[in-house]
Amino acid sequence: MFRKLLPLFSLGLIILASCNQGSKTPAVAAAEDTAKLTVASFDTSAYRYVDKPVLIEGTVLHTCKHSGKRMFLVDGTDSIRVEVTTGSDIVKFDETLVGSRVRVLGILKEERIDEKYLSEWENEIKKPKENHEAGVHTGAIGHEDQTSQDKLNQINELRADIKKSGKDHLSFYSIETIRFEELK
Amino acid sequence: MQRKTLRRWNNALHRDLGYLFFGMTLIYAISGIVLNHFKSGDFAHPDYSKSYWEFKVSPPVEGKTDQAYIDKVLAEADEKGHYKSHILSGGTLKVFLTTGSLSVNLKDGSTFQEKRQSRYIIKEFNLLHYNNFKKLYTWYSDIYAIALILLAITGLFILRGKNGILSRGAWLTAIGIIIPALFLLLYM
Repeated sequence: MFRKLLPLFSLGLIILASCNQGSKTPAVAAAEDTAKLTVASFDTSAYRYVDKPVLIEGTVLHTCKHSGKRMFLVDGTDSIRVEVTTGSDIVKFDETLVGSRVRVLGILKEERIDEKYLSEWENEIKKPKENHEAGVHTGAIGHEDQTSQDKLNQINELRADIKKSGKDHLSFYSIETIRFEELK
Repeated sequence: MQRKTLRRWNNALHRDLGYLFFGMTLIYAISGIVLNHFKSGDFAHPDYSKSYWEFKVSPPVEGKTDQAYIDKVLAEADEKGHYKSHILSGGTLKVFLTTGSLSVNLKDGSTFQEKRQSRYIIKEFNLLHYNNFKKLYTWYSDIYAIALILLAITGLFILRGKNGILSRGAWLTAIGIIIPALFLLLYM
């Protein structure tokens, strides 16, 4: 009898696991000295907190549909988008988070884009098999469906931005999540 | 060890690995079909099926997008009770719903609606396929991959005679290797 019911029991276990998702969002508390950033001031203040813990709140605009490893936070408008990536303890950012207000505790990371990076990215795009992980993720609507030509145009725009900046690189900031919670 | 004993061990290993990894094989195969079609653009999202509509709602009076206007849009879209939040994006009002989203052009009221429905179980299969869990699951899925190699090798030696690896089996095995090689030659 038990042997006959075992496959059904196993299937039930998977269904139970699928129904149980998304309920585990522990409250995010941060130490007193953790910098509290806002989406609006992120672009101008992020450089001060590289590799330091930060706390930020925002509305989820978009989650990466490829693996759920990224989400973008906005506040009121989408003119400033803050990239948030999963840390080692976060399984994924599910699409049901889109539109939710979230509080994220994480480490602020800097990614430097220079000519070497852009050349490597350009070579990657020119290969027949395109690598989705290569390049800069902006969270802009449709950025995941960019064609190779769109990406090459983006590379040229970044080259122009580097030239304009007077430095040899551009800095992109993101937050690697330690914990996050959905605010109700 | 004698040939007969070797073949008995081979068949036993193939049988037991087959039983043990039956579940994993179904998980990876089903999720693989979904991810295949997602990658080739047939599905908008691997975890959710999506449907889209276009219709018109009343544009806001003097461009005022307050909560009263949003409630009116929700009523016109028959989405009352599904509201989550909203943002402004250029001349577009984006309303996030528990079931998807509405993008309203504030000039003429033309609205684009995206509705989302979870692909239950397949969503969980995709989590395993993508190895989102990392940690211990990385090791377990490595074991599964090794088991697949063993299943493939032991599978070659199950039968003897005209259906064995030395006659019909040899042809089928060769064809199975040539097909992916042809794809590589064709697309690389």
